[in-house]
Amino acid sequence: MPPGDLAIWFFIFAELLAFGIFFVAYAFARAHNVELFNESQQHLNIASGAINTLVLITSSYFVVRAVAAIKQNFSRECARWIAAAIGMGGIFLAIKLFELYAKFSAGISLSTNTFYMFYLSLTIFHFMHVILGMVILTAVMLKARSGGYSAKLHTGVETGASYWHMVDMLWIILFPLVYVIH
Amino acid sequence: MEITHKPHFIRPCTLVWLTLMSLTVTTYAIGEANLGGWAIMLTVLGTAVIKVQMVSSYFMGLRRTRRLWRGIVLGWLLLVAGLITIAYLSTIK
Repeated sequence: MPPGDLAIWFFIFAELLAFGIFFVAYAFARAHNVELFNESQQHLNIASGAINTLVLITSSYFVVRAVAAIKQNFSRECARWIAAAIGMGGIFLAIKLFELYAKFSAGISLSTNTFYMFYLSLTIFHFMHVILGMVILTAVMLKARSGGYSAKLHTGVETGASYWHMVDMLWIILFPLVYVIH
Repeated sequence: MEITHKPHFIRPCTLVWLTLMSLTVTTYAIGEANLGGWAIMLTVLGTAVIKVQMVSSYFMGLRRTRRLWRGIVLGWLLLVAGLITIAYLSTIK
């Protein structure tokens, strides 16, 4: 069995499918508007996309450490690693909001062109998944802090961890696809 | 069976974390250098595929589960990356 509650895995696979279709749709839409996509992509902030990748990867690693901690029966340590991961999620959101604010201030919207329609909807859709992941991790952190998990019983920690890794995985594809490849 | 001593997956996961960070910096450098073309595209997308596989195998821990679960994620990954590659290569004249 995969780590965590089996139900979360059906949810994860549904999410992978939805994002997968979105990624492929982006690639084929680009194939029909190569110049427009290449030109619009030049205006994206690659540094902020890259920093956010580093931030999410690190937060995923923190969640790995949280799972390792609870497997040793260290509830408080587990809660602290999760809190650190949530903090990284907050940094991701702040950087993303800054980036989106810059785009909206420049008058860019979903109707600007096909590239921006994809850029905004893909990143905002992913943004909402980061928020959901942070909500799940917060619930797990609170339960861990109150000693609700142990070395033997910690399915909840692995469930939250699996969802958070998925959010990280999706950004690992989204970043090169939308910001770098042309 | 659960373990109560220090889990043996910490060290490999730390190495994976450092590798993922390095690969991200590489992708960023390629982006900042504004490099394009099919070879670059395949390199960057291939890097993303390796990174996702590392997250799935090590961080998610799917390498310790039945092949079915790994297979679903890997199948999804290869299908999506394959279709993206087809879409990109179709634009090269």
